[in-house]
Amino acid sequence: MLIELGHFALVLALVFAFLQVALPTVGLLRGSFSLAQLSRPMLWAQFFWVLVAFVILTNAFIGDDFSVKYVANNSNTELPAIFKMSAVWGAHEGSLLLWALILSGWSVAVSVFSKRLPNEVLNHILIILGLISIGFLLFLLLTSNPFERLDIIPVQGRELNPLLQDFGLIIHPPMLYMGYVGLAVPFAFVLSSLIRGQLDSTWLRWSRPWTLIAWAFLTFGITLGSWWAYYELGWGGWWFWDPVENASFMPWLVATALVHSLSVSEKRGAFKHWTVLLAIAGFSLSLLGTFLVRSGILTSVHSFAADPERGLFILVFLVIVIGGSLALYAWRASLMRSSNSFSWLSKESGLLINNILLVAAMLSVFLGTMYPLLLDSLSLGKISVGAPYFDAVFVPIMIPAVIAMVIAPFLRWKKDTLSRVGALLKNVWLGVVVLFAISFYIVDNQFVLFAVFLFIWIVSHSLWLLVNRMRQKSRPNLAFIGMLFAHIGIAVFLLGATVTTQLGIEKDIKMEVGQSMTIKGYKFVFKGVDNFSHQNYQGHKGKVEIYYEGDLIAKLNPEKRQYVTGMPMTEAAIDPSLYRDLYVALGESLEGNAWSLRIYYKPLIRWIWLGGLFISFGALLAAFDRRYRLISKRSES
Amino acid sequence: MNMIAIMGVMLAGSLAWTIWFLKKPLADNGVDLRQSNIDIAKQRKLELQRDLDQDLIDQEQFELALDEITTTLAVELEQQSVKTSNSENNTLSMLAIVVLLPIFSIGIYQSLSTYAPTSIITPVVDSKPLTLEQSVEKLKQHISDEPNDSEAWTMLGLSYFELDKVKESLEAYEKAYQLTPNNSKLLVEYASTLISVNDNQFSDRPVALIKQALEIDANAPDALYLAGMFAISMQDFTLAKGLWNKALSVLPEGGDDHQALLGLLDELRRAESGQVSNTVTVNVLLSDQILANRSAEEYLMIYVKAAKGRPMPIAIQKLKLRDFNGQIVLSDMNSVMPTKLLSEHDKVLVVARLSRTGGAMKQADDIQITSSVVNVSDNPNITLELQ
Repeated sequence: MLIELGHFALVLALVFAFLQVALPTVGLLRGSFSLAQLSRPMLWAQFFWVLVAFVILTNAFIGDDFSVKYVANNSNTELPAIFKMSAVWGAHEGSLLLWALILSGWSVAVSVFSKRLPNEVLNHILIILGLISIGFLLFLLLTSNPFERLDIIPVQGRELNPLLQDFGLIIHPPMLYMGYVGLAVPFAFVLSSLIRGQLDSTWLRWSRPWTLIAWAFLTFGITLGSWWAYYELGWGGWWFWDPVENASFMPWLVATALVHSLSVSEKRGAFKHWTVLLAIAGFSLSLLGTFLVRSGILTSVHSFAADPERGLFILVFLVIVIGGSLALYAWRASLMRSSNSFSWLSKESGLLINNILLVAAMLSVFLGTMYPLLLDSLSLGKISVGAPYFDAVFVPIMIPAVIAMVIAPFLRWKKDTLSRVGALLKNVWLGVVVLFAISFYIVDNQFVLFAVFLFIWIVSHSLWLLVNRMRQKSRPNLAFIGMLFAHIGIAVFLLGATVTTQLGIEKDIKMEVGQSMTIKGYKFVFKGVDNFSHQNYQGHKGKVEIYYEGDLIAKLNPEKRQYVTGMPMTEAAIDPSLYRDLYVALGESLEGNAWSLRIYYKPLIRWIWLGGLFISFGALLAAFDRRYRLISKRSES
Repeated sequence: MNMIAIMGVMLAGSLAWTIWFLKKPLADNGVDLRQSNIDIAKQRKLELQRDLDQDLIDQEQFELALDEITTTLAVELEQQSVKTSNSENNTLSMLAIVVLLPIFSIGIYQSLSTYAPTSIITPVVDSKPLTLEQSVEKLKQHISDEPNDSEAWTMLGLSYFELDKVKESLEAYEKAYQLTPNNSKLLVEYASTLISVNDNQFSDRPVALIKQALEIDANAPDALYLAGMFAISMQDFTLAKGLWNKALSVLPEGGDDHQALLGLLDELRRAESGQVSNTVTVNVLLSDQILANRSAEEYLMIYVKAAKGRPMPIAIQKLKLRDFNGQIVLSDMNSVMPTKLLSEHDKVLVVARLSRTGGAMKQADDIQITSSVVNVSDNPNITLELQ
């Protein structure tokens, strides 16, 4: 019975999403205050019913209700309780329900914490968010009902994909969805402004903190995904330029540009065209990512053709969202004319270059992701676009962006001169040259040397900016500190990614019990394999001891698991540190008492995710800057 | 409280919520759009002044930016807000909500729910998994109400088959077939069941059903797969290859079925190229005690598993005791996974198990014996004695 009630709750959520759009729209058109003010209560009711549906589905997982098709397909009685809960979003239908829940959650947050927004503006924003909710709830109910019952109820359910039975996967999707869905908020701000015909200071000011929070979550979600792929897939990689990864990276690049573009629009009223288009593009790319991942088109373009219902729905939704938004943009383009001029050397031009490069980088990823799919769907052959393409195209676009990134904050608005900037930065550049010269004698890998240069470049400029601000005896605000964190995060990431890629050592070897291998001074001794069993899997646990200069520094137990459904899994064992990771994965049993092992030495790999955390933290700091305090308080005039 | 009552409560709560806020709308937060833009412009001016004080801009830039802020504000103040009034009569709106909210909610639910309309009246109160026997009973009840529901007959056939009630299973499938003779999916499932109960032999009836299924849908992958198996049984490898390649072109890449077919085609290629796979010949001796106490209808399962690693069978043959002639030969054709052939393994263990149920998991009264490690590459011939 509960399941039917969950389904009914979802239907009620759809009805309330519809009311959230219809009643305030009628109210605004007819000038009816009470109808216009219904947007918030209707949204809260929508959120409540989606939450009820979500709780009921979670309960079905915990209670092993295999009469529900989705539960039977993704859980079984042997699954540990924590994974039964995360299995709720382990596959398509539950992911979509989580998406709908997070979307309504974001909308509720906007409705509660936007007390400085005039009611009229807020009502328009909630109408747009309601329209997006309608799209997703219809998608759920028409094509992806998580409450579908089975006619014949199995005694036991299937296995949740073992790859997903991991802590990283419990939190990675919700964080990523928080970012994806969060981009709906700036999108709604922009669309409501276009509809109202009022592209004024208010929407620019108040959409910025929401954009920063969404960007922080998106960064955190992508960082978590990379960390999870590293330790869970057993190959020691941290980024594969996989289409699913690219699907989240493209909105991130656009959101990065949007965050910067908003700062110019907000402070100087310029770049409104950019801001509007980037907000539309950011959310559209989130939807495109959903289409790519959920339509099955990535597994095979033919699987989309074989079962086009879901893919077609998102495609139509995508066309309506992009087409409708661009039509609105074209209609209101005249409102965005700005007379604010700036010279080629100014903060505005620096941020414009940043926007152009980030969008170009996004387009390069878009091309590499979509072109093979397009060719395949037109039966023009299969091509594989992998790391070599992205390394050759994406990286060169981003290098000037990274170099310019730390110069722009020193530039003056409107107009600056080379002599002033040169005088201001000459000491920094001197320091960079000296440090780089020292590095030149220490580092013998040209790529690492370049990464060290970029690291020194970014960190020294950022610190110099802080020193300058302190000299002026003005207390740095949170937005400023956030920016420093984010920029230094990029430096930390760049160094980690380059060093681990260039200097990492990977050995796939056969080892007999008692045999050892030394990598970079670390002696790995294979001590054998034990059998073991767990609640829902059994397997082999390798025993590897690591010695450094004769001292035992770690005992690692890589596992090879066999889940009850027969799916094998490799669970790597890692000795982590900020300087290097020692990574061991157990391969196959070979003749005698020998096993194949993968042993990796990964210098500075933690810096990759540390950089991501810095960027997320910086974005959150900036979002909570005093100027954006979201609590109800009349602004001091 | 039954489901209808709870749904009623959910609807009533939703209605009450909506009407409450219609009657007592949330108060305006008092933030005026014009005032908001003025406040932001003032704050911008303050920030601008700070920039000037900190030498981030010079006096000329300060003046220019100040002009821009003033001009922008002037433009923004020209824009009009939407005026709403709170002296209004909302009786019509209220009436519309009271009527339309339940109609839409129930209407959408009824049209989407697979349990509607009967499920609302007789909801599934106990959502614990049903056993196959319970499922059969439920299906029989349903069929007594709707005897022409072909899908229910098909599910009944499948359930009986799972319960090893072959005769009842085939009768149910036949009934489903009589009701919908043009359902290619049913034809394939019926044919597949007939083949299974006939020890994987293709008799005239399943072949006719497969042919009929392909006439209805020439691209049905299941039908193409079975037709390929039939071609193999007739030693027509070329035809089998053609049929399976056709099935491959319509199956989603990367799926289990696609992988399995690729494995079969690979195996076929090996067979055609004369690559003879390794075999394991197993002789099973049955003690007099077993012959006296166990039924001839029990299952004898003989399989090979890896000496180290996965405990799952690599190749298996399962047959009834009455059909066993003392020896079986396991080859790549008996491999469980087309992608993990017997020949690809080296050291293996051979297991013989006598089972009443024939299930995959060893039961308490099953009798089982496992060999010592043998090398597949030696084409071993071993003898196991079940006691």
